Amino acid sequence: MATKTIRAEYLKGLWDENPVLRQILGLCPTLAVTGTVITGLAMGLATTFVLIFSSLVVSSIKKLIPAQVRIATYIVVIASFVTIADQFLKAFFYPISEALGPYVPLIVVNCIILGRQEAFSSRNSVGRSLIDALGMSTGFILTLLALSSIREILGAGTFLGHQVMGPWFKPWIIMILPAGAFITLGILLGIALQIESRTKRN
Amino acid sequence: MSLSSRMIIVLTTVGLISGGFLAGVAKLTKERIALNIQAEIEEAIKEVVDDAGISTVLYEEEGLVIYRELEEDGDLAGFAIQAIGVGFQDKITLMFGLDETLTKITGLTIIDQKETPGLGAKITDWNAFLRFWEDRDATGPLSLRKPSVHTPEELLATEINSITAATISSRKVLEIVNLSLDKVRELIAKGKITDEEHDGN
Repeated sequence: MATKTIRAEYLKGLWDENPVLRQILGLCPTLAVTGTVITGLAMGLATTFVLIFSSLVVSSIKKLIPAQVRIATYIVVIASFVTIADQFLKAFFYPISEALGPYVPLIVVNCIILGRQEAFSSRNSVGRSLIDALGMSTGFILTLLALSSIREILGAGTFLGHQVMGPWFKPWIIMILPAGAFITLGILLGIALQIESRTKRN
Repeated sequence: MSLSSRMIIVLTTVGLISGGFLAGVAKLTKERIALNIQAEIEEAIKEVVDDAGISTVLYEEEGLVIYRELEEDGDLAGFAIQAIGVGFQDKITLMFGLDETLTKITGLTIIDQKETPGLGAKITDWNAFLRFWEDRDATGPLSLRKPSVHTPEELLATEINSITAATISSRKVLEIVNLSLDKVRELIAKGKITDEEHDGN
């Protein structure tokens, strides 16, 4: 396998292999909790915590796990870190935990996390797995921030709860409804594909 | 070592370590989570009962808790009723206050809801919905005013205002309150809640 530089390993998660825009993974939380920037950011950070620690554990014990039970083992590891993240949010960030509702426990089934364990951490060193997890998490957070910023500004006229649009602005309610999530994600995916095809042509 | 033994050992070990770790985390966060839930309830009570200081649970059943509220000096401040019912999208948890004589609703606040953002979620909005709940008559069932009005003075004491484009959510809140009031009246009739029972705390 050709070895990438550490920098390239990190940067691939931001664009070339961005989990949402390029791999189309983790769409459930991406669509569900991006109605406001704060919930989008909280989801991004909780997923980052789970992805980093799951990758560290899986890459550390990969040689001990028989191939037949690897998925079950990954899920136990991931579910443990998700439960920790959930309990932590409930204890220290109760209002955010209430706003995210069932979507924190559902990080267990976020395909980005299981996908990175299967495709990367189970085949690479601890260090590289950490860099990969950091890159993928950054890409995920940036995408959630882009999506939630657009939705909150247009849907409520606010950014992080602060009014940014003048009194003339009438909020586009559809943007904070599920339909708005699909429309915004569709547009972002279209832009990403457009940029990608132009880059390739050049 | 055979493959099946290895599989059993690996899965058991991972499960045990994970279980032990989570038990530790649960122990560390349990108290704080309970305090958060308690603080949320206390805050809701203070929003609906003026001068509430000391709470006592008078009655509890699934989806309904009735608190008697005393002022710091021991005088009766009123009663707070926490109720859970079905909303348009999901369950709605709310708290409303009753005055010392159990005949008037003093206010209502929503603790938890998952109604449609921008529409049904306006049940948490003071101007659009909550301010119309002050001083409502609690001696009989309340009804929904539709089309909605602009000020509480335009409503009868037995009416609550509806939210334009979110009638179902408004009606669901009303139903939860009416059901709770039925239960409160039943408990008053049985002598389980009285406006004189304020000597102990």
